[in-house]
Amino acid sequence: MLSYAARRVVLLVPVLLGATVVVFGLIHLIPGDPAGALLGPTSSDATRAAFRHDLGLDQPLPIQYGVWLWHVLHLDLGISIARRQPVISIVWEAFQHTLLLAAVAALLANVVGLFLGIVAATRQFGIADRAAMGFAALATAIPSYWLGLILVVLLALKVQIFPTGGMTSAIDGGSPFDIFWHLVLPAMAAGAAPAGIVARTVRASVLEVLRLDFVQALRARGFSESTILFRHIVPNAFPTILTVMGLQAGYLLGGVAFVEVVFSWPGIGNLLFLSIGQRDYPVILGVMLFVSFVFVLLNLAVDLMHAALDPRVRTSVAA
Amino acid sequence: MISGANPSAAPELLRVSGVEAPLQQPGTLRALWGRFRHDRLATAALAILALIVVICIAAPLTSPHDPLATQAVNRLAPPGSPGHLLGTDGAGRDLLSRLIWGGRISLMTGVAPVVIGLLVGGLFGLLAGYYGGVTRTVIMRCVDVLFAFPAVLLAIAIAVTLGAGTRNVIIALAVVLVPSVARVTESATISACSQEYIEAAKASGVNDASIIVFQLVRNVASAPLAYCFSIIGPVIVFAAGLNFLGLGIQPPDPEWGSMLYSLQSSLLFAPLTSIVPGVPIAIAALLFDVIGNAVRDVLDPRLA
Repeated sequence: MLSYAARRVVLLVPVLLGATVVVFGLIHLIPGDPAGALLGPTSSDATRAAFRHDLGLDQPLPIQYGVWLWHVLHLDLGISIARRQPVISIVWEAFQHTLLLAAVAALLANVVGLFLGIVAATRQFGIADRAAMGFAALATAIPSYWLGLILVVLLALKVQIFPTGGMTSAIDGGSPFDIFWHLVLPAMAAGAAPAGIVARTVRASVLEVLRLDFVQALRARGFSESTILFRHIVPNAFPTILTVMGLQAGYLLGGVAFVEVVFSWPGIGNLLFLSIGQRDYPVILGVMLFVSFVFVLLNLAVDLMHAALDPRVRTSVAA
Repeated sequence: MISGANPSAAPELLRVSGVEAPLQQPGTLRALWGRFRHDRLATAALAILALIVVICIAAPLTSPHDPLATQAVNRLAPPGSPGHLLGTDGAGRDLLSRLIWGGRISLMTGVAPVVIGLLVGGLFGLLAGYYGGVTRTVIMRCVDVLFAFPAVLLAIAIAVTLGAGTRNVIIALAVVLVPSVARVTESATISACSQEYIEAAKASGVNDASIIVFQLVRNVASAPLAYCFSIIGPVIVFAAGLNFLGLGIQPPDPEWGSMLYSLQSSLLFAPLTSIVPGVPIAIAALLFDVIGNAVRDVLDPRLA
């Protein structure tokens, strides 16, 4: 297990380096002159030239990349154009908000998905199965941003139970309960699609285990259905289920972006959206870089957990 | 007689080894369609989808009003208003007409990236799986790098740097889809390459290009095809989402996602009208979901 983990960690280095190349490449894909894009259309040629020199943009690309990477390694992602603050602190603050929303949405999605999937699998082709899978199909098809708008209409405008957006109330806001109260609708909107996907996967993997001979043997020996289900079937299906749950949690890290915009939730998706409008490229690229690192580490954690639970993975997926 | 070089000989070899069912034999496409037709839900979904596509393509004939014609009165009319079946938007434009015209863009931005992703990702996956070694390492490490970003954020970032526009949304989504298609194709190719008919073809001196084109493609295709059919629905939602964020088509041209965004500000005054543009997105995604599941079952029963 340790050697598997060590191998996976070593493999991370080229991937992360590659991610920095992609982000660096995006900077240079920005159409036109980056100095013009960063300084705005009103800047003079002289300031642009000075700016280019300051940023080292008159240097060859590999040198530029090296200098940029050096700064990145020192957590220096530049200064936001719109806010005149270090990008890293802006991104870090927004990331915490996204993490909160994504974690709650993932929890909701995984609990609902696990429940529906197990119910559906144990009553295959029954009414409960059809209802659960119908819900899963609807949940995955409905756009999260549209579901968000519908929830706002129903539960924030018609029946004013929840706030329409934001993370804290303007007056006396900021208490844990206040934040939770603001979290409910966005978490529901963001969690619906992953819940559907988790439900489908749980159903499929439980059904796969149900077909195995040992289940028949347990039944023959007179174990109750619930003992068989929770002691034997679910634990057997769990490594696969856990992987899908982890992947959905990772998906939500980016997937909550749409919901954040709908609910003005001050996370990275919303930050990205605002920065697009302000052409704040340092922030856009800082977000990409930061999130990719977190995303890679999260995926690694999921893989390692899968390997810890399922010895077959450690030996077969060596490459 | 070079048995391996003859494409029609491959399935016989397969049948002997009994590992995989032959695919795309003469008449097999008809057999696939026959199996698909047994799924009545999927057939109904396909019929409805075809109807929607025809209505959208024939937009000049089917849309009741000019999608760009504004009117000062009768703004934000609710669905069911006389003359405006689905109501009007904040500028008094007929929503039904805008949805019909917008469907062209929305459906295209959902399907085109998947087609591009299938072709490009499929090619890379085939090359990586067939050649192995350095080719595989280079291609699959690049794939790993693209997997280092959450798909939604990567697509947003690419679309932003390329600039707003439908073409750039399609490119951004295609770039995001290529790695997953490549992975699916690569693993299917590796397992196909361990089969005897490929070995026979190689032993009999058939060149690599012929093996890939005449033998591998048809035997590997089912996995990436099934995958691509299953993601069209989510990609439509995703593409409309990028338009919702203002990265795609620019107003006043209609598109489902951007219509939803521009109506968001009217949520308080006209809640019902404001959520209308989301309906076709959800319906299209649901129809493609049903069709995609059926296609997967037909193409690759083991995945069901």
